[in-house]
Amino acid sequence: MRVLATIGHTIRRDWRRMLGQGVLFALLFQLFMMIALIVRFQQLPNYVTTYDWFGNVAWIIRSTPSWSDMWPIIAEEWLIEIGHMNYDYGNGISVWSLNVIPSRLVVLSVLGAMIALCLSLLRRDSCSTRTATTLRATTGLGAVLVAMTNATMSWVVCCATPSWVVGLAMLGLGVSTSLALETMGPLLTGLGFGLLTALIVLLAWRATPPTTSMKGTPRHA
Amino acid sequence: MYSKTSLKAALLGAALVPFASMASAEKISIAIGHQSMCTDTYTAGIVVKELGLLEKHLPTDGKYAEADYDVSWADYSSGGPITNQMMANKLNFGVMGDYPLIVNGAKFQETDSLRTLYVAGTGYNLKGSGNAIVVPVDSDIYSIDQLKGKAVSTPVGSAAWGMLLKAMQDNEIPTGDYVLKNQSPAVGAANIAAGKIDAHSDFCPWSEIMEFRGTGRKIYDGSETGVPYLHGVVVRQDFAEEYPEVVEAFIKAVYEAGEWIREDPMRAVSMMEGWTGVEKEVLYLYFSQGGHLTLDPTIKQEWVDALTFNHGVLVKEKAIPPLDFEAWITEDYVKAAYADLGVDYAAEKASMVDPAEANKGLPMEIWHSRDGVSTYPDMPAFLTAVAQMQGTGAKLNATYVYDIETGLKLFGKTAFWVKSGGDYATFLRKGEAEAYAAANGGELVTFDAAIADFITEG
Repeated sequence: MRVLATIGHTIRRDWRRMLGQGVLFALLFQLFMMIALIVRFQQLPNYVTTYDWFGNVAWIIRSTPSWSDMWPIIAEEWLIEIGHMNYDYGNGISVWSLNVIPSRLVVLSVLGAMIALCLSLLRRDSCSTRTATTLRATTGLGAVLVAMTNATMSWVVCCATPSWVVGLAMLGLGVSTSLALETMGPLLTGLGFGLLTALIVLLAWRATPPTTSMKGTPRHA
Repeated sequence: MYSKTSLKAALLGAALVPFASMASAEKISIAIGHQSMCTDTYTAGIVVKELGLLEKHLPTDGKYAEADYDVSWADYSSGGPITNQMMANKLNFGVMGDYPLIVNGAKFQETDSLRTLYVAGTGYNLKGSGNAIVVPVDSDIYSIDQLKGKAVSTPVGSAAWGMLLKAMQDNEIPTGDYVLKNQSPAVGAANIAAGKIDAHSDFCPWSEIMEFRGTGRKIYDGSETGVPYLHGVVVRQDFAEEYPEVVEAFIKAVYEAGEWIREDPMRAVSMMEGWTGVEKEVLYLYFSQGGHLTLDPTIKQEWVDALTFNHGVLVKEKAIPPLDFEAWITEDYVKAAYADLGVDYAAEKASMVDPAEANKGLPMEIWHSRDGVSTYPDMPAFLTAVAQMQGTGAKLNATYVYDIETGLKLFGKTAFWVKSGGDYATFLRKGEAEAYAAANGGELVTFDAAIADFITEG
């Protein structure tokens, strides 16, 4: 309970900074993906499409009978698509694109906020340099796992099942390896968040002052 | 006072009558996702859209008497996004190839409340032509065996990817013996043109575009796998149950689109070139008599078998969800549409076009840029005509011959030619041409050399 109180206290004290850093992380990640695409394909984007996200979500809610079906569909709704269209063939084909998906922005913002919390707790930690490095590396690993599985780059090639591994395949990972990793997406996301949560609990425990033990019964209470 | 009030009420009532009838008119939105860069979808996509065939067949009586239709079309470069848009109910109909169709059905069946129905085909090639493996035109690779140790790209998840996997398995080339790369059709075609990749496997009409542009050469045709290549129409089940007559109208439009193409293939492909940007000469290879594509909306048992086989590949390679084919495929709508059109569904379902048989004896063709397509019953007549036309400086858009082995229609300029005595034969693959030449005491010659034999002096 005291560990939770330490976490709660840190969040109450730093929530504005954590929120800001969370949103900033999500936005910077979009920028990172765009730069990765431009470098990978050696092409600048030549089209932008915006979508009526609110209208689309309202329509999905109205036309999907089951609540359990509704959320995964809404989670895939796009807000913005920025990509490169190849006009050498037919009326043009979108070779690659970055899709800004609000549900993924939320996940990435939560991730960014958790990283900020970890760093905030780390600053209060008076551990050795070696331990601090290990803790920072663990934070990084958790962040990479979540961010990787929330990449929203698409490529026309994966026409049967667009998924997060498209990003890996585009960035040079072998097709077989990418496909082998595909079903592990939710597991890796869970692992990343689990790692960060465990780290936050560990750091909070270290930051919580030990309870003073009182032996015997006070005589003059 | 009373009479004045009554009059006012009467006038107001009369004024509102038109609005009352408007209010009772039901607005029916029909959204279709199609692919203008995939030839086999055209009869349920671009042709229906551009000729307004769906609007022509939409019901206007009974419960549809007051219907206000809003038909919209969305063009996609692959089937995957169409499925996603259908899940979000932004599309009611989707037109796509066999592998994406299977993913569509399986993804919907994975949900609690949403389903699609496979209601009609668009066209097929019985043996699997449409998919092919292409190498750069100057490559020294002539057969699939030579791909060992080479880099091969393909749009992963597409029908061409499935064909490539099966082709490699059939030829006992394990996945470790070649490097598989994931490439989009456009990027793959560009890499073939630049010689940056050893081979590229793609779906219709990309291989033929590369051949026509002189950048690529087929070394393997999908027909060698023996698995039919087909495309079809899926519709959201909730839409189909609410508006079954609209689904029937869509299938009638698909049927009419096929009839329109068969009526005059040259006119059809010329118009399709304007709508899609794909060269008409390439489209002619698909849509003309003896072309790669048999236009046929019926659902045959062979298609169910092929889709079941393809589903097995996808389960193994991509771990896609199970698919209950029994629940997904229905012939109800296509049968009703045929009945309304007065066409014998059973007879059309029973007919099957095998190019190896159906194309025997079909004439060779020359597409003269000014005079259009002319036909020639035998090689001497064909080669004489080409020689004469070239002699006048006429521009020939394309020439068409047939592969002796498979019956596939080929561009004259990309076929392998064998001359034995005074006879000429054409082949898709070099190996079979060489075998034929050896067996018949002939020799491989170029298309230009064959034409030169018929150039007359003066």
